[in-house]
Amino acid sequence: MGATLTEQPGRPSTPDLVSRVRQVHGHWLESYAAMLRFDIASQRTSLPGFLIMQILFGVGTAIIYGFYIGQLSREAALFIVSGAPALAVIAIGVVAVPSMVTDRQTAGTWDFIWSLPVPRSASVASTFTVYTGLTFPGIVVTLALASWRFGLHLHPTPMVIPAFLLGSLMATSVGFGTAQVIRNPLVTNVATNVLIFVVFLFSPVMFPIDQFPHWLAEVQRVLPIYPLAQVMRASITNGLVHNVSICYAILAGWTVAAWTATAWVIGRRR
Amino acid sequence: MAVAVAPPASPSVAPNLAVARAGPRYWLHGYWRMFVWDLMNLRRYLPILASILILQGTGLVLGVGLFFRHIPESAAIYVVSGVPVLSLLTVGLIFEPQIVADQRAEGSYEFVRSLPVPRSMMTMAWYTVSLIPALPAMVIALLVGMARYHFDLDVIPSVVPAVLATSFTGMIMGYALAHGITNPMTTRQVSGMLVFVLFGFSPVMFPATQLPHWLAEVNLWLPFESMATIIRDALVKGMVTGVGRAYLVLGAWALVSGLVTARVVGHRR
Repeated sequence: MGATLTEQPGRPSTPDLVSRVRQVHGHWLESYAAMLRFDIASQRTSLPGFLIMQILFGVGTAIIYGFYIGQLSREAALFIVSGAPALAVIAIGVVAVPSMVTDRQTAGTWDFIWSLPVPRSASVASTFTVYTGLTFPGIVVTLALASWRFGLHLHPTPMVIPAFLLGSLMATSVGFGTAQVIRNPLVTNVATNVLIFVVFLFSPVMFPIDQFPHWLAEVQRVLPIYPLAQVMRASITNGLVHNVSICYAILAGWTVAAWTATAWVIGRRR
Repeated sequence: MAVAVAPPASPSVAPNLAVARAGPRYWLHGYWRMFVWDLMNLRRYLPILASILILQGTGLVLGVGLFFRHIPESAAIYVVSGVPVLSLLTVGLIFEPQIVADQRAEGSYEFVRSLPVPRSMMTMAWYTVSLIPALPAMVIALLVGMARYHFDLDVIPSVVPAVLATSFTGMIMGYALAHGITNPMTTRQVSGMLVFVLFGFSPVMFPATQLPHWLAEVNLWLPFESMATIIRDALVKGMVTGVGRAYLVLGAWALVSGLVTARVVGHRR
C-alpha cells in the first residue's frame, strides 16, 4: 500500500502526447484481447455449430445445383465448385452473425457488453475477428469436398489470402451491421430467410452472370455477393474471371459502409 | 348472515363450470378465441408473411429457371408443380418453430400455455391461421409459373385434400419441433436445416431420378416427396404414380408428429 502511494507521484507527472497515445493504444489492445477471450468463451458451444453449418451450406448448395440441373458440363461443374467457398462465407454473414446478434439482443447481452469499460470499437473488432477467423476452416473444407464431389482440381494462387480475408471480413461486417441496424430479432430472422433465398436463386455465384436478364446482372455487379464470388473464384481458377480489381473495390466499399452503419448504431447513447 | 346465504348458491355454479369445460361448444369457442388470438398476435407480421410467401413462390418459379441456359419443358413443369409444397410448408414448418422460439425468449410462451383452451384447439387454430398467407401465395406462384413457361395445368378436385394433407402434415411437424426443442438457437438451426433438406435434397421441384439412388430411396420414406406427389397429381395429368402410398406416408408422419406434440404440449409441469 505504501509502495503504491510513494510510486504514484513519480508516474506521468507531465504526460506528453506520445505516452498518452501509447496508453490509449495499449488500453485498446488489452480490451480487444479481453473481448476476444470473452467472445470465444461465451460462444464456445455455438461456434462449432456455425462451422458445420457453413460447410454444409457451401458443399450442400454445390451438390443441390447438380441435382437441379441434372447433366453437368465441365465448365458448369467448375463454376459450381469455385463458387462453393463464397457460399460458405455468405452463410456466416447472412445466417451465423445475424443469429448471434439477435440472440444477444433478446438476452440483453449487448447492453451488458456496451456497459463494459472497454472501447466499443474493441468489442466489435473482436466479434469481427472471431467470425472472420471462423470462415477459414469452412472455406478449406468446403473447397476440398466440392472438388472431390465433382472430380476437379483447382489451382490456388497467392491471391487466395487477400481474396478470402476481404471476402470474409466484408460478409461478417455487413451481417453484423445490418442486424444491429434492424434491431428487431423477428424482422432479422425473416430477412435472413429471405436473403438465403435471394442468394441461392438470384445471385450469380455458381453459374455465369450472362444467364441473368441484363438488368438483374447490372444490379448484381454492385451488390456484394457477386464481387465476393468473383474475387474468390479468381484466386483459385484460371481464365474464368476478368476485371477482378473492381470487385475488390466494391467489396472494400461495402465493408466500409457496414463499419459506418455499425459505428452509427453502437456509438449512440440511449 | 351473508355467509350463511352463500352456500346454497355455490352448488349451482360448480356444475356449470364442469359442463363449460367440455363438449363441442367449449371446443369451438376455444378454437375461435385462439384463432382470433393468433391473428391478433400476428397482425403486424401477417401482411409481411403473406408478401414473403408470394415473393418466395414466384421467386422459386422464376429463379430456378436461371440455373439453366434453356430450361427443358419437363424441368419447368416440375418446378411449377413443386412450388405449392414449399408455399404450404413455410409458415407451419419453418416459421412456427422460430415464432415459438421467440415466444420462449421473451417469456410469452408460458403465458399462452396457461390459457384455459384445449391444446388441440390451439393447434387447429394455428393451422387455420398458417393457411391464410399460404393459399394466395400458392395460387400466385402457379399463375406466374404458367405464364413464364407457357403451359397450362390440369387442376382436378383432389387438389383440396392434397393441399389440406400437405399443409396439415407440415404444420404438425413444425408444431412438434417448436414445442419439443427448448433452446431457441437449436430451433433456428434445425429450421434452417429443414429448408435446406426440403429445397435441395427432396425431389419436390426436380425428378427423383436426378438424385443418387440411395437418396431417392431415403426420400420414399420422408414426407416431402409424398407431398409433391399428391399435389402434382392434382395439377398435372399423368405425371406421377403411387398417390395412395404418398397419402399413407403423410398420414404416418402426421400421426407421429401429433403424438410427439400431444406428449410435449399435453403434459402438466
